[in-house]
Amino acid sequence: MYCIYFLLIVGVKVSAEIGRPRGVSISMASKYEPNDQKIFRCLDGSGTIPYEHLNDDYCDCADGSDEPGTSACTNGKFHCTNAGYTPKNVQSSRVNDGVCDCCDGSDEYEGKIECVNNCKELGKKMREEQDEKRRLQEEGFKKREGFIAEANNMMEGKKLKIQELEKEKTELQDKLKELEAKKAEAEGPEKEAKDKHEQAWKEQKEVRDKERSAIKAREAFDELDLNKDGFVDVLEIIPHMEFDIDSNGVVSEEEAKEHLEDNEKVDFDEFSSRIWGNIQSIYKKLVPDDQKEVPPPPVEPQGETGVPAPTEEPQATPHITPIPDEGDDYDDEDDEDEDDEEDAVDEDKMPEYDEETKALIAAADEARKNHEEADKRSRDIDGEITTLTSYLNTDYGKDKEYAILRDNCYEYTDREYTYKLCPFATASQRPKAGGHETNLGRWGRWENDYKVQVYDHGQNCWNGPDRSVKVHLTCGPEHQLTNAYEPSRCEYAFDFITPCACNQPPQPQDKDPHDEL
Amino acid sequence: MAATTIRLSYYLCCLLLIVQVHSVNRDNFKTCDQSGFCKRHRSMQPGNSPYIVLMDSLKISSSQISVQLLNTKTNVRLVLDLYGLQGNTARVKINELEPLKPRYEIPVGDVLIGEPKQQDLKVLDKGAGSITLGLEDNKIVVSYSPFRIDFIAGEEPVVSINAQGLLKFEHFRKKPEAQPEEQAPANPIEGEEKKEEEGEKKEEEKKPDNEEEPGLWEETYKSFHDPKPNGPASVGIDVSFPGFENVYGIPEHAESMALKTTKDTDPYRLFNLDVFEYELYNPMALYGSVPVMWAHNEKSTVGIYWNNAAETWIDIRSTTADKNFFSKIADLVKGNTEMAQMDTHWFSESGVVDIFVMLGPRPKDVFKQYAALTGSTELPPLFAIAYHQCRWNYNDQDDVKNVDANMDSFDIPYDVIWLDIEHTNGKRYFTWDAHKFPSSKDMINGVAVKGRKMVTIVDPHLKRDDNYNVYTDAKNRDMMVKGGGGEEYEGWCWPGSSSWPDFINPEVRNWWASKFQYSEYGGSTPDLYIWNDMNEPSVFNGPEITFHKDVQHYGGTENRDVHNLYGFYVQKATAEGILMRSNNEQRPFVLTRAFFAGSQRFGAVWTGDNMGEWSHLKVSNPMLLTLNLAGITFSGADVGGFFRNPDHELQTRWYQAGSFQPFFRAHAHIDTKRREPFLLPEENMKIVREAIRKRYTYLPFWYTLFYHGFRSGETVMSPLWVTYPEDKSTFEMDDEYLLGSSLLVKPITEQGSVGTSVYFPGKDESYAGSQNTYVNAPLDKIPVFQRGGSIVPRKMRVRRSSSLMASDPFTLIICLDKQGEASGDFFKNNILQSSNADPSGKGSTKEWVEKLIIVGYPKLPQVSISQLMAIHSLYITAMIVTAEC
Repeated sequence: MYCIYFLLIVGVKVSAEIGRPRGVSISMASKYEPNDQKIFRCLDGSGTIPYEHLNDDYCDCADGSDEPGTSACTNGKFHCTNAGYTPKNVQSSRVNDGVCDCCDGSDEYEGKIECVNNCKELGKKMREEQDEKRRLQEEGFKKREGFIAEANNMMEGKKLKIQELEKEKTELQDKLKELEAKKAEAEGPEKEAKDKHEQAWKEQKEVRDKERSAIKAREAFDELDLNKDGFVDVLEIIPHMEFDIDSNGVVSEEEAKEHLEDNEKVDFDEFSSRIWGNIQSIYKKLVPDDQKEVPPPPVEPQGETGVPAPTEEPQATPHITPIPDEGDDYDDEDDEDEDDEEDAVDEDKMPEYDEETKALIAAADEARKNHEEADKRSRDIDGEITTLTSYLNTDYGKDKEYAILRDNCYEYTDREYTYKLCPFATASQRPKAGGHETNLGRWGRWENDYKVQVYDHGQNCWNGPDRSVKVHLTCGPEHQLTNAYEPSRCEYAFDFITPCACNQPPQPQDKDPHDEL
Repeated sequence: MAATTIRLSYYLCCLLLIVQVHSVNRDNFKTCDQSGFCKRHRSMQPGNSPYIVLMDSLKISSSQISVQLLNTKTNVRLVLDLYGLQGNTARVKINELEPLKPRYEIPVGDVLIGEPKQQDLKVLDKGAGSITLGLEDNKIVVSYSPFRIDFIAGEEPVVSINAQGLLKFEHFRKKPEAQPEEQAPANPIEGEEKKEEEGEKKEEEKKPDNEEEPGLWEETYKSFHDPKPNGPASVGIDVSFPGFENVYGIPEHAESMALKTTKDTDPYRLFNLDVFEYELYNPMALYGSVPVMWAHNEKSTVGIYWNNAAETWIDIRSTTADKNFFSKIADLVKGNTEMAQMDTHWFSESGVVDIFVMLGPRPKDVFKQYAALTGSTELPPLFAIAYHQCRWNYNDQDDVKNVDANMDSFDIPYDVIWLDIEHTNGKRYFTWDAHKFPSSKDMINGVAVKGRKMVTIVDPHLKRDDNYNVYTDAKNRDMMVKGGGGEEYEGWCWPGSSSWPDFINPEVRNWWASKFQYSEYGGSTPDLYIWNDMNEPSVFNGPEITFHKDVQHYGGTENRDVHNLYGFYVQKATAEGILMRSNNEQRPFVLTRAFFAGSQRFGAVWTGDNMGEWSHLKVSNPMLLTLNLAGITFSGADVGGFFRNPDHELQTRWYQAGSFQPFFRAHAHIDTKRREPFLLPEENMKIVREAIRKRYTYLPFWYTLFYHGFRSGETVMSPLWVTYPEDKSTFEMDDEYLLGSSLLVKPITEQGSVGTSVYFPGKDESYAGSQNTYVNAPLDKIPVFQRGGSIVPRKMRVRRSSSLMASDPFTLIICLDKQGEASGDFFKNNILQSSNADPSGKGSTKEWVEKLIIVGYPKLPQVSISQLMAIHSLYITAMIVTAEC
């Protein structure tokens, strides 16, 4: 492929201008003054062209500098003087395109459109606005200075507070150690005494339980031994339906024998040593005939009695008794059970500690309490230090000028919602008509050289992102949330004006440099 | 915009799952098995057709033969009309001889631009078994028994109709009574007809074949019942293309350009539907339908247009031709090599068989032949082919103003900013949200001073609200579509409960068009244009998200008969409205989602709700190529993808691709992040800006392309084989294309790609090097090449909008071929006016040629400046720059 390009100039329009070429600013005019050779050197030095090719509506220079007054070069700039207003460089593509871009209309010299020169009006308006802006800025800037001082004081205060807290904490450490030792000291004898007392009670209880079980075995044996021959035999087991292993309604000899550990009959010794232990949980006294219609109780062990202490009485009886009255009231039943429990506990309750032990316990309680109090204070101090540190570590701007906004909230209400911004904390929204507040984001970070705050990780949007807010901060006389909108679904933007954002206004100049001729 | 998450929220949480899997819910759409007529036609086996030609009934006139066909199994008679048409085209129409009532045919003038001009048919041979007709250089052989028609171009058989014997014509019949007992026919039939009717009846009773299966008189799909008051009425026939291995067309499917055999899938379906998050590379129906198919091989290009607006399915098989048969009717090249053949099988739920056979023989010939039938793409106003900035939604006037201002401050040109449904007062089209858009005219004028336009969305569903005057007006005039019981049809769409004007009715279309008068559409101005969405139509609670099939339209037709035309008529009526409001002086611009054959005449089409994924960027090229092949040349895909958030690389590559596609619009779903080009990181922003600016420099070229398309029906975005028909390696190439015949485009559609292999067609032309060349394409490069021997007109002074460039000079890019020659042309007229597209017209312009860039020549050519200055005239053909080597 041959790749030689060349350009052919078609149609030559020589501009006939007096003074500096069209579209050139005064400051650049010297670069465009004709030299002796009538040669123009492209401003980037890339080439030279005959002077008459300047502004001939054909782009010669790579940097576009030969066509300051036409649209021929795509990268060129046209300078509008805009006398009375601000001069401006517009893209060459805006020259003679039928849109008035310069207030003096100089960009539309071909007459595609009649541009009214409104630079004077604009200039006047601009100066008024600038004055007003400057006034606001000055005012705001003063406030801002105050805020910064205030913030610095606050910071200092907080730093001092941290120091105090740390000092207190150090002191507390020694005290804590001391209290810890005292606590350990008191708890040793306390434990020993308590253990001793409890061990004694345990042994006593075991003996008593054993005795009780023997008594119950005796009672059962006597009841079972219908013929009072000193043996419980198979035939005496058979009437007890609770021994119906396969639940077929009949206690067979085999079943009876099984309960007697394959014996035809057993005497009391054997009964109490080998049999009773196995059957005591299912054994029931024979009930009188008129109550026999009641279905047999479930065979499962009666777990719900709570205290698995050896049972003093055949336990099932209260459960097969029809529940009185409106028997559906489970609460009542539960209460009953609890009552039973309490009774049992009462009966089996450990006797009080002796006075000596009580004294030891009281001493240990006192030591524990002292330690706990000191420990809590220590943790509180840690918490306070964390809060203060986090406060101090937050970036409040170059001069901490935004610190003043912390712990305040600002609201803005539009047609549908009230938006709330609590700087360095949260942003939220709630419907005007009432309803839930939606979290739009938590404090995230600064962006754009402290001009934008980002709050993110707000409530998730259905089928979308987590909500987030960008807060645009601009200089204003008061702290005020002035606008809230949603450019993309669930990505909000707030406008917030505040003196904190007011920079020092530039010193007014003696002469307006823009009044070029 | 479309069937989206908002809609889903109506259906409660069970559908959450569907949203999260992020793909089409196939259960919402019928398979062939779930569609009675599809199943009936598809179950037919190729074999001898039961139809024979009754030669006694043959009537011949100069350009038409008419003859009866008899079904030897049922004794039902059909009538075949075969017409010769001008431009190597024939029409084959099969209807019932005596239907119980007229079967639906699309009114002439709607899809067909007029009654096609007829061409003499010569009877070449009238034998005992067949009749041979001559149509220009082609032969048409109608065989009697079994009935089939073969088209022979030169000596090559190119199209066969009913060669597989799949003609099936479900004639209108009376609904059988519940009692299966024999009874006298309800209407006495005269004379001999009666005997036949009785014979037929007996046949039917004897052979309760598959037509007796359930589903003939009613069907149920999901919870939707279709009462089918007319009973079975479908029509189908096979069309084979002997000698061809590739067929193309029948949009709209998210599919490769070369169509695939449907042996292992459902047939390709044409049924306009709003498909939420559509899947790629399958035959499911989408928003629009153009039943036109081309077959192409090295020797010729032929095709058919199936003129039927009902639900249609098309099966495609790749087979070999029956050389035995063809040797009898054509002097085939001898030899034992097998001849490839594509078999296609077309069936529609109602209507008639009406096939236009276009015989080419070159690609550009078939486009012209098809344009002669359904029209060509109207030359778009210039702004419409520039860059469009859209989003669901620009929230309010300030938002519009800010986007406009940002585009300018970043120096990114754009021509049109769009407003989606949220701009309205509660989705009442033709209205504005009074809080967000309190002074729409000021807003429009604000962008119009910079030569820009706005577009608002106007959908066809009307909120059923008695305080909404467009609705009450339509209701009072009894203009709404009716439900099966004759009541005003009610369905669910964006505004909630909605009704739909009956666009099938010409009076309704006139009424709709009148709504665009400035006096009617408050807050509109001449700089406001229109977008028709949801016009399949989308009915959230309807079967397959659209109308019930028994919905009643004008003239006693059911939606079943006209379904695929509804969206076509919506856009037609809207375009007429926009034309009317300017007293026919300005060309309209209307974008539509649903379309049919002929929609090209009314504006642009986009590929609906795509996704911000690489795969969707990639598929946009074959989808747009297919739309172009089907006449819809002014088409595009949402740049960036509608759903989801594309990453910066994808967005950048998509802008580059979109800048070389015909309709260039960025669009995004309401749930996506903002993505106007100026929000991109600087590196990407600059590349995207460059791509958009490049589009603006090529606007004269695009405008000329559209002008040629308007004149000749040619594609704007073309498969390579359109220009290089003999180059077999291009037949399935759909990732690379030509604009006109001058620019070769191979967009990067792969993530992370920094280069691509480009195929340079045309052995004797030089683009860059050998035919397959690897080209570097880092992120800032779009692989686009100009053909040696071509001249491309550009305007290098890119301004804020296209109309601000109207009187700027041209730069001609002249790429010489190996002989040192190049030719090209460009077209120039009023960029808006409708009356000025006449090439012979005189006019003058302030534009001039500022620069010629000649590529491929070692020294200065001999060019006369005066010759070049003559370019100020309106239309330049073949300006040739010649010089010595």
